[in-house]
Amino acid sequence: MNERDARADLEAIRVLMERSALYRRTLAPTCLGLGALGLAAGAAHRFLPLETATAFALCWLATAVLGVGIAFWTSRRQAVREREAFWSPPARRVAESIAPPLAAGFLLSVPFLLGEDWARRVVWLLPALWMVLYGCALHAAGFFMHRGIRLLGWLYIAGGSGLLLWWTCPLNQFPPVAHAHLAMAIGFGLVHLAYGAYLVATERSRRA
Amino acid sequence: MNPSDILQLDRVVHERVRLAIMSMLAASPDLSFTEVRDALDLTDGNLMSHVRTLQEAGYLAVTKAYQEARPLTTLALTKAGREAFAAHIARLAAIVQHARPA
Repeated sequence: MNERDARADLEAIRVLMERSALYRRTLAPTCLGLGALGLAAGAAHRFLPLETATAFALCWLATAVLGVGIAFWTSRRQAVREREAFWSPPARRVAESIAPPLAAGFLLSVPFLLGEDWARRVVWLLPALWMVLYGCALHAAGFFMHRGIRLLGWLYIAGGSGLLLWWTCPLNQFPPVAHAHLAMAIGFGLVHLAYGAYLVATERSRRA
Repeated sequence: MNPSDILQLDRVVHERVRLAIMSMLAASPDLSFTEVRDALDLTDGNLMSHVRTLQEAGYLAVTKAYQEARPLTTLALTKAGREAFAAHIARLAAIVQHARPA
């Protein structure tokens, strides 16, 4: 073996080691499911009395729990169908990387569940905070997934920060709870649907 | 280049497909048979024959289980396999190092 072959072998080993550590489940069904759920939850405030801070936080925390269930179910179904382990090392790494920001998002919501008067006045903070933290979770998971997830993470971080800046701008009045529902429906419903559709299209063209 | 580096290359590990299998497993505690097969674009039979060779050398452990009534075959490097892989990388690095002009 000459030096050039040894160098090529080392490079191939590096690439394969990197690739095997990546989470490779198809995310399109999960994103489409999360998008539909987000839009349904956003539409719910038109039909249900969800105008208090407690109702807002409860509605979207319940949606988040359902969303985790959808993600769990779709990835498990895929793993079983493809005869792969569901709780694989890459899946564990992804779960560990998204857990801290998601836990922070949940803990920050707890005071809003208590129904205090101040919570109603600042409930509009929640969508922005949730978007930033969700973006951080996606960005952290992106180190063990394809690169697009990190970009999506940045999109949420920018969107959440922009929303926070917009709503805290002295020229604007603090928005009503209905606007917070709308921000959530767009941020977690439409964005997931759009990303899911993009993944379906790119995965189809890759297979063709 | 030191000729002894080439002579010491482990033939079991050095073969292209087996080296690729071991590289994937070196970065992960275990992987399913189908994950390795799809990632390396191999057929079931081809991968199985290389898995057998690595198993006979004591470098690979194969676990068979069931997940929702479907068979799930998992591959993992043994301690000897990890050592052989590390030694192989060290030898490749030595070949590259020796070839560099002083």
